[in-house]
Amino acid sequence: MNKAKAKVVKSKSKKVLNVLITYCILIVVAFIFFFPCLWLILASFSKSGSIYSFDGFFPKEYGIDAFKTLFTDTVMYNYPKWFLNTLFISVMSCIFGTLLTILTAYCMSRFRFKSRKKLMKATLVLGMFPSFMGTIAVYLLMTQFNLINQQWGLILIYSGTAPMGYMVQKGFFDTIPYSIDEAARIDGASNFTVFVKFILPLSKPILVYTALTSFTWPWSDFILPKMLLQNRDLWTVAVGLMSLGETEFARFAAGSIIIAIPIIILYFCLVKYMINGMSAGAVKE
Amino acid sequence: MKKILPALIAHIAIILAVIIAFGVMSVVRKTYAGGAEKFTGELERNVTLHILENNTAKEQGYLEELLNAFNEKYKEYGIKAVDANVDQFNDLEQSGPFGYGPDVLYQANDAVMKYVDGHHILPLPIEQLDCYEHISENAWDAYTTTISEQEYVFGVPVNIQQPLLFYRDDLLPDNWETEWDDDKNGVPDMIENWSALYRYSKQVKQQSNGKKYGYMQSLLDSYFSSGYLFSFGGYLFGGEDGTDTYDIGLANGDSYKGAKIIRQLASVMNMECTEFTISDNRYTRLASGTYFATMTTPDVYTMFIREMVNAGYTEEYAKEHVKMVNVPKLPVSGDLEDESQGFMDMTVMGGVNGYAISSYTKYPNASLEFVNFATSYDMVKKRNQILGISPARKDIIEEIGGLDKIINENLDSGSIYVMPSVCATSQIWSPMETFFSLIAGDILEGKSAYATDESLKKGLEGVSKNIYDAIHTLAG
Amino acid sequence: MGLGQLLYKQWTKGSMFILLQVAFILYFVFTGGADLFGLFTLGQVKGDAWFGIAGDNSVVMMLMGIFAVIMIMFYIAIYIVNVKDVYATQCAEDTLKEPLSFKSQAASLLDKNFHKTALTLPIIGVCIFSILPIVFMILIAFTNYGGTTVPPELVDWVGFENFGKILTLGQFAPTFFKIFGWNLMWAVLSTAINFFAGIGLALLLNKACVKCKAIWRAFPILAYAIPGFITLLGFKFMFSYGGPINYYIQQGGGDAIGFLAVNSKWTARLIGLGVNAWISVPSIMLLATGILSNLNNDLYEAARVDGASAWRQFIKITLPYVLFATTPVLITQFINNFNNFGIFYFLRDGVISDSYFLANNTDLLINWLYRISIDNNYYSIGAAISLIIFIVTSIISLTVYILSPSYKQEETFR
Repeated sequence: MNKAKAKVVKSKSKKVLNVLITYCILIVVAFIFFFPCLWLILASFSKSGSIYSFDGFFPKEYGIDAFKTLFTDTVMYNYPKWFLNTLFISVMSCIFGTLLTILTAYCMSRFRFKSRKKLMKATLVLGMFPSFMGTIAVYLLMTQFNLINQQWGLILIYSGTAPMGYMVQKGFFDTIPYSIDEAARIDGASNFTVFVKFILPLSKPILVYTALTSFTWPWSDFILPKMLLQNRDLWTVAVGLMSLGETEFARFAAGSIIIAIPIIILYFCLVKYMINGMSAGAVKE
Repeated sequence: MKKILPALIAHIAIILAVIIAFGVMSVVRKTYAGGAEKFTGELERNVTLHILENNTAKEQGYLEELLNAFNEKYKEYGIKAVDANVDQFNDLEQSGPFGYGPDVLYQANDAVMKYVDGHHILPLPIEQLDCYEHISENAWDAYTTTISEQEYVFGVPVNIQQPLLFYRDDLLPDNWETEWDDDKNGVPDMIENWSALYRYSKQVKQQSNGKKYGYMQSLLDSYFSSGYLFSFGGYLFGGEDGTDTYDIGLANGDSYKGAKIIRQLASVMNMECTEFTISDNRYTRLASGTYFATMTTPDVYTMFIREMVNAGYTEEYAKEHVKMVNVPKLPVSGDLEDESQGFMDMTVMGGVNGYAISSYTKYPNASLEFVNFATSYDMVKKRNQILGISPARKDIIEEIGGLDKIINENLDSGSIYVMPSVCATSQIWSPMETFFSLIAGDILEGKSAYATDESLKKGLEGVSKNIYDAIHTLAG
Repeated sequence: MGLGQLLYKQWTKGSMFILLQVAFILYFVFTGGADLFGLFTLGQVKGDAWFGIAGDNSVVMMLMGIFAVIMIMFYIAIYIVNVKDVYATQCAEDTLKEPLSFKSQAASLLDKNFHKTALTLPIIGVCIFSILPIVFMILIAFTNYGGTTVPPELVDWVGFENFGKILTLGQFAPTFFKIFGWNLMWAVLSTAINFFAGIGLALLLNKACVKCKAIWRAFPILAYAIPGFITLLGFKFMFSYGGPINYYIQQGGGDAIGFLAVNSKWTARLIGLGVNAWISVPSIMLLATGILSNLNNDLYEAARVDGASAWRQFIKITLPYVLFATTPVLITQFINNFNNFGIFYFLRDGVISDSYFLANNTDLLINWLYRISIDNNYYSIGAAISLIIFIVTSIISLTVYILSPSYKQEETFR
């Protein structure tokens, strides 16, 4: 009797210890991930623009001047304009990129055609080529098509190259049972109808995942826009922020936070879909 | 099936014929007419010129004034100048040939002259310009190059750029007139020669226990630090006009003495001098009184004032007490602690900024007219007033005198080592930065890898070799 | 093209083919033919902007030449479709059957041949924006493009000269192997760290005792949402001599540490690994969370009845399952890390290390390539090196991919 009680106490204390350790680790992890972000947020609220007026991580005085100048001082750094440009490019690339990627993935998953395996291997191999080496070619190509200083040129590139990353999506479609297709086909539906009416509603998680990834890429990329958009009024936020002087850290931080916010909100709203989409895709990539 | 085969063959034949015919035609076709003289003197009418200016000109509102004044005057010709609105370092080589470049560009001489090899900018008939005789030979030289024994000029100098010593005179010790003015000329010694500045910095650092500093500088910044090497016989590229990239002379002469001075200077700073931190924080730290002096180019003067205001001073106070002076003199001995041999002028790296005209402009005459207008007495004077730049025009210098006159004399006397006008200049920075960072860190960490003259000399030879490799090894 | 269809009175289809053919022929007449020849000549007349001579831009000619080749391939593909179609119609006529009407053929593009319709656009996009640049760079490796030989100078084919240069240059091989060794180590280490940290984090968050999972999970996601270049610039400053970390070290009376300084090697490498983990772990955590939620709980029940410890459960059940499920992700992670350009480009630019040729001791191959081909303008040499690396890595990863269970057993889940 006593012994059993001791055991219960022991296992109970073990459990408490376990919980304690778990939370300790969690707090450390949360700190590691949160602290740099917090630092950036604090920096954006510092009164003096320069980061060298800080005591270590913390500004001496707080104020919202950085945000104010971000939106009012637009002669050199037209942040509001850049923000709208980024939004336009990202949304458009997101729509077209998602469409093309999903179509590719669906075909690769559902159809068995001659060159399928070859295509799959080829995309894997092509993905390994150092991408910056191709930027020279992309620039020259765009000059030939008269697409320099055109936002549509960027959108074309982003959505045109998006299908290369169809693997995760294909894995997801692989997990949707074939019986659904077959049942629908017996009812006389064409492949197109099957895709639109039956498969797409089931693929919400992967749609969200694809849309998000194809949205965030143009959102934070600066290599392509820097090269293809030379007019300052057409720049995206990433290019603009990189051109800010080193002494304007608060403005840089404020600008960074504002472009991070939409992505954070999107992630939080859609994290459930993300997890489902990614995992289902990964099992059978 | 029988019908298909001949049809197929016929089809292939037709397509091949089309491709080959037009391909060969394109190969044969190539006979280009030689172009005529571009500067006919006849102004193009009803055109729009795209002008690339630098960021400060835009920020401080000078560009707007310039464009307005020009547009006002040339309204009757229908010539309009607008801001090209691209990055100030826009590469004409990339944008020009495809028709996206500016018509007129304002860049440093090394940036402009690297376009010459590809004929991306036009040789200018400078005698036609009003400013021609007002600008000194040396300033024109920065934009001059010899092609098949004929001299061509590619840019019009506007502004001479050289590093200056910035300091706050309200931070000078109270007793400077008795203790720090050996020659009794009413100018503190520490802004006259490096030895005194070094001594003073040492004292400040010691007395404040490393909380305050005298002279501070990101010593790895080669634009500023290479001057010490040049002062003792080092050079970048050899040859008559300093563009022979096969001859890299950073280890030439007694240049190791310059490296020794860099190492000595590091000892009165902290580890931040081995990275670009000080380049970024000097504005704030000078305002907070943590640093007494630093060296940089005059175009950032307004940043010091801005930070002073942020730190709580009034603008008048800031403008009165943040001083810009010519760089101090160096001890001839090459040792900051040995003043026995007297002092000599320091050679600094500098440049000449000016206007050039893109070869891809459709309106060369209007562009030339714009350059003429922008380099006129009125505009350059206005530029000097708004941006505080040192003008290249002698007539304006005579009028304002002071520091700007000294800078001009430095250019004439060769105390400014003008950045070489060749593409290869872009290869010198990384190897030099690495070396300067190493020798500065060496003394601060209490090591002695670069304590002897031989090791410094060897290090400089290594840097020269690295630069040589970067330029030539792969090209050969 | 199209005549066959017209003969069989298939007007719509026939005229569509004819239109396509006319379009192609026009393309070849106006630019295609010249472009294709340009691929071989790479231009003959040097441009000179001073005299208004447009001249030939060799690089653009090469690019447009490749474009012409791609167009010819499209043409051939369409031609084959055309011939097949006529042949099918003819066969149907010969056997006195009704040939497929245009309408039904069009309908089949949404049904039986849906993949042809759906894949057309993606394939065109990938061909132009992914394959064309890659082919271009591969061809560049066989030219003398770079250094002073850039347009308006004429570029020429040089065969295998660049590869010979790489092999014979004394400085090259030592740097290559040093960087390659570190690159391999980096790829393995960073993949392992990111992978296990991500799974560990997911397991931790999956524990029954953790309340408010959503909030805890939010912190890593925050890290995920901030664009990479901002994170990297922030970290670079944080670890610099003038940065906050050294500020606190000095406040505590210590000496400032040059984490990323010129003569630091392992501290910089470790910081690189850490920063990379900070950026990549959140996404792997999300992935692992999803996978773990699919894991069958019965297995654990059984294990617990058998008295297996938590550690044994992890080793015997969780790990094999997760490993199996994520092999493809692991491969892509490995490749991405192998070619991770951003980390050291942002953290440690402008540094050249002793006994390295145009590189420093934290550079990965891709950073070295960048210095050679973009900073120093030697495009052809850079292209040649990247071609070598590309061949090596693709052979390795293709082998792993083909041998991996997820490729072999693709059909098992159906």
